[in-house]
Amino acid sequence: MDEFLSRVDNDQVLLRELLTIFKEDFPRTMQSLEIAVTALDLKSCARLSHTLKGMLSSLGAIRAAAASAKLEALSSAGETASLQSALKALESEAESLLPELDAYVTGVQR
Amino acid sequence: MKILIADDEALSRRLLEKTRDRAGYEVIAVENGKQALEQLCKPNGPRLALLDWIMPELDGPGVCRAVRTRTEQPYAYMVLLTSKGSKEETVLGLESGADDYLAKPFNAEELRARLRVGERILLLEDRLVEARENMRFRATHDQLPSLLNRGAVMDLLVRELHRSHREQKSTAILLGDVDHFKRVNDTLGHVVGDEVLIEIAGRLLKSVRSCGFVGRYGGEEFLVVLSNLQSILRARASGRDSQVHLESSSTNR
Repeated sequence: MDEFLSRVDNDQVLLRELLTIFKEDFPRTMQSLEIAVTALDLKSCARLSHTLKGMLSSLGAIRAAAASAKLEALSSAGETASLQSALKALESEAESLLPELDAYVTGVQR
Repeated sequence: MKILIADDEALSRRLLEKTRDRAGYEVIAVENGKQALEQLCKPNGPRLALLDWIMPELDGPGVCRAVRTRTEQPYAYMVLLTSKGSKEETVLGLESGADDYLAKPFNAEELRARLRVGERILLLEDRLVEARENMRFRATHDQLPSLLNRGAVMDLLVRELHRSHREQKSTAILLGDVDHFKRVNDTLGHVVGDEVLIEIAGRLLKSVRSCGFVGRYGGEEFLVVLSNLQSILRARASGRDSQVHLESSSTNR
């Protein structure tokens, strides 16, 4: 997270703007990903998990980004059997992420 | 300096856009490779670019390959951004025409430093182009301002003759010298002599306008080439015209 703060040049306005984008784009992309995993649409799985990896790593959410990277790798390799469990792992990382990010922004503002 | 940012993912794009804007760049942000290519091919478009590897329409390496096929435009310095990290991919990225390669998520200091490298390269290119243009001007122009030298005017004449032959048009070649010019130099000095030549050259250029070109053939000899003439008659008329201008010039002095 400190790395992230240096990346936004300690700009709280930008930090909040990025968080707004995240709160909009992340659930939407996750939803599409869930559909793609259920449909075993490997191409979409790879593309969507790549997008998630990008936004998560930009935010400095390293563990969730790693979970997306795993899902992307499995999709590209065609490992359909492991997709569901990888998605579950990403979802559980994502669950704790939003409260963490909110707490972080509040912490910075203080 | 203008910088292009191409990333399909909104959060990363906004982050880059905002931080580069704060670093003093004029940022152009786009969300796919096709738009990136359009921007890079525009006249006076950005010459520094941060390109995401995976993008819809056209990926980062695809943009690099397409940009490198253009030859008339100034050099573009392109950095590929990606989370891919293998040696093979690095090689593929650079082989596609990228100048540099940066892993995401990027480190702020590293990004700054790498963009400075790009700016140095672009500055170097600007200096080389400027030097080349200066040399080109000096190699093709006479010491007298705005006048072509003998080599340049003869080259143009050969090209013009080929063209008029191909298009079945007529070209007029006028070779003239200044009578008693030696006397000007001998009595008034070479500085005044040069002034006279500049005045004559100026009047010749003015009377020829866009219908041809004027070069200095020798000391006080001028070669005038008139192209695209409807008929030889018009060429004669133009020739008389120049003569009239010059005669009035000599009486004015």
